[in-house]
Amino acid sequence: MHIIIIGCGRVGARLASLLSSSGHSVVVIDKNPEAFERLEPSFKGKTIEGVGFDRKTLLDAGIERADALAAVTNGDNSNIVVASIAAQDFHVPRVVARINDPVRAEIFPKLGITTISSTLWTSGRIFEYLISPELHNVFSVGSAGVQLYEFEVQPVLVDRNVKDLNVSNEIRVVAITREGVGFIPVLGSVFKRRDRVLVAVDTRSIDKLRAMLGLTN
Amino acid sequence: MTPLSILIIGAGKLGRETGQRLTDAGHKLTFVEKEHESAAKAKEIFGDHVFFGDGCDPKVLERAGVSNIQVIIAATGDDEDNLIIAELAHHIFNIPCVLTRVNRPENQWLFTAHRGVDTAFCPVATTADLIKAEIDKHAKEIQG
Repeated sequence: MHIIIIGCGRVGARLASLLSSSGHSVVVIDKNPEAFERLEPSFKGKTIEGVGFDRKTLLDAGIERADALAAVTNGDNSNIVVASIAAQDFHVPRVVARINDPVRAEIFPKLGITTISSTLWTSGRIFEYLISPELHNVFSVGSAGVQLYEFEVQPVLVDRNVKDLNVSNEIRVVAITREGVGFIPVLGSVFKRRDRVLVAVDTRSIDKLRAMLGLTN
Repeated sequence: MTPLSILIIGAGKLGRETGQRLTDAGHKLTFVEKEHESAAKAKEIFGDHVFFGDGCDPKVLERAGVSNIQVIIAATGDDEDNLIIAELAHHIFNIPCVLTRVNRPENQWLFTAHRGVDTAFCPVATTADLIKAEIDKHAKEIQG
């Protein structure tokens, strides 16, 4: 794939090195040429000094044939603008913007811009580590608005109905692994001891799930 | 003429000058400004209608009463910010009329209707055009 990265800070440099070492064609853009010193010596891609939303800079980076673009500078607004240019003007198939501000991270996906919020994601992981070690995070959906968790059935749930754990728009049981076999439960399914349960949870409802599992402190 | 409720983001020289003229014409003005110095200058003229904060933050816009606004003018010195304000104004707050300032002439191509911009003004390009037109007009007399 031909991939353009805007911003060669710690995130951009690490991402560029990862993609380059997995064999992709990578171009990194940063307005400060010293930033390119963060790239690993093995980096085989191209670097361009410039502003990420200059048309000429993007054309030089090969945006017309790019398969993907990641806007990961430390400026939320620049990242949103570059991502919107890539998606709307150049029709780059896969575009993502890094957004620190959680409010903007939740608004711009509504306007068709995929965002990854380091603030939401990192605080979510730290929160879980501190508060919910029993819940194992499997996947974050979108900008971490929804989480997939796996847990072993707690005593409080044994012989209870799957529908007792479902809360409309907040919590939904997605799958159960019983004696090594995974299946998608119906609402009438009943939890058994040692079941491993996969559940989708709105990030704001994690405390509610913990309470339902009897994990409150 | 029925007065319009107009919100100007960025109370620098351009924002204040525009606001003054619109106030004189009888419109109802509100400002959002994130720099203390400019906010203080705007308060001397427009009093309580000046809100301190980042106009790219939807919560700040709500605090400034964006739900009752008919015209938004994104007049900050930062083109990324003006584009974000236009997107929010048009797509999130459904403002009927969104006007923007363009600071760098090379960014003019970005200020389009699909980003929520109704009309964009680039003072640098406009002034340069006027100067050139003036020289073109008088070229012969200047040469004598």
